[in-house]
Amino acid sequence: MRERTAPYLLLVPALAIFGILFVVPLAYFFVISFWRMLLFAMKPGFSLVNYEQTFALHLPTFVFTLYLALIVALLTTALAFVYAFLVRFKAGRWGPALLFIALITLFGGYLMKIYSWMTILGIKGVLNTALLTLGIIDEPLPWLFYNAGAVVVTLVNFLLPVAVLPIYASMRGITDIELEAARDLGAGGWRSFSDIVVPRCHTGTMAGFALCFLLAAGDYLTPQLVGGKVNMIGVQIGAQFGGIYNPPMGAAMSFVTVGLSLVVVVVVVSLLAQWRPR
Amino acid sequence: MNRGASIAWRAVGAVFVVFLLSPLALVVLFSFTSRAQSAFPIEGLSLKWYGEMFADANFAPAFWNSVVISGTVGLLSAIVGTMAAMGLARLEPVRAYLVTVLICLPLMLPPLVLAVALLSFYSKAYVIPMGRQTVILSHLLAFLPFVVLVVFARLRNFDYRVVESARDLGASPLRAFFTVTLPIIRPTVIGAALIAMAFSLDDFIITYFTIGKGMTLPTFVFNMIRSALTPKANAVGTLILLMTVGTTQIALWLTRYRG
Repeated sequence: MRERTAPYLLLVPALAIFGILFVVPLAYFFVISFWRMLLFAMKPGFSLVNYEQTFALHLPTFVFTLYLALIVALLTTALAFVYAFLVRFKAGRWGPALLFIALITLFGGYLMKIYSWMTILGIKGVLNTALLTLGIIDEPLPWLFYNAGAVVVTLVNFLLPVAVLPIYASMRGITDIELEAARDLGAGGWRSFSDIVVPRCHTGTMAGFALCFLLAAGDYLTPQLVGGKVNMIGVQIGAQFGGIYNPPMGAAMSFVTVGLSLVVVVVVVSLLAQWRPR
Repeated sequence: MNRGASIAWRAVGAVFVVFLLSPLALVVLFSFTSRAQSAFPIEGLSLKWYGEMFADANFAPAFWNSVVISGTVGLLSAIVGTMAAMGLARLEPVRAYLVTVLICLPLMLPPLVLAVALLSFYSKAYVIPMGRQTVILSHLLAFLPFVVLVVFARLRNFDYRVVESARDLGASPLRAFFTVTLPIIRPTVIGAALIAMAFSLDDFIITYFTIGKGMTLPTFVFNMIRSALTPKANAVGTLILLMTVGTTQIALWLTRYRG
């Protein structure tokens, strides 16, 4: 008896944290998404008005956010695949160093990376200074900064390590024996890449894509700091808990964001499920 | 592989390294400039922005908050995470998998949604006032899964015969844990806790929404960036990078070379 209950006893603290700090808050958050604001106070009740308002007021923002997140996630996943491929098959003794760089950049400096892109892309930024000094341009390029492109570059930069790790983890499972067997059976380099490497990395690639998409679609800081007038849903959600103060609305917007993001992820993953480069 | 392809791959690798590292390198570089802007040309090297950082009245409390929060998160997540991993290791594989997925669910939400949901909960729950304690609880929820995953992975290739011998020789389960199991898995546990600490030190979004009135180093920098762009933000940023990269370094060294 003791041996049977022991595993669950050991799991009690972790499950308590999960229950009290995740299940309960999210359930409460879901409930208040049906409440209303009345004279700056939340009023319990059941109304779908927040969801109606979410679509009525923010539909263009949602469409744009999901579109931008899709671009970012596809770009990041593709680049991460190349990076993982480089580490696993092409870099030789530099492989561990490249992997190490991906790990270091994964852990260090979410905010500092965004800040750094402000100093790189800004009107007096590193890029403009460099181009001016080299004589390639005569005047600073204003279009480098405060637009969707700057948001994409910044998001790709900090999401790249997030996508590299799962893809590399699944690529590491491919043994040289499999590839040699394919070659002995007459497969060329491209054939063994499309028929062995890509399908074997499928799980890791899809995990990388899903993570990047969810993080990009829900990002709060990047559009604020480098996006200028770029309006993403995360900024709007954050505002419901600050200046605007309408938590029920923010809750409804959060659930719609997560729901729509999951729909996009499921659609893309199932579209890519059977895809092979030819 | 022919020579041209090899050079091409090297070039690709170099571009990636520059893309990944230059933003961080620039943060550090501009923290030492003597000018008032984080921009080229750097006319002279100076430590004055670090002086400005230390002179800021908000710096010491923010630094102390960061240390207390990440330290507590590291310690608690090590204890709770190791217990959970030991529990998982004793479950049947299918059940262990299901419980792992459950514990990892908070990682599937965008941090912003987690942050505002927790904010709504804390501001309603009355029991616990917002401050360091609410940030610690939120970070524990968000970063505990990493500790569980890392320690559980270590336990999967753990030789249980040594624990069984200890038990056969009369050690209680607790004694067997502290004298046999823990010394063997200690580097992994510490490494995993340091990973949680690095995430905690670096976190902006969850902290920003759940701390109430105080500040940590990242939210301190954020206020600075919003008001004026001076290399003072680079100095604080360099300190944050030093702390997160430092803890990560030790963590990697512990989990990879010893664990």
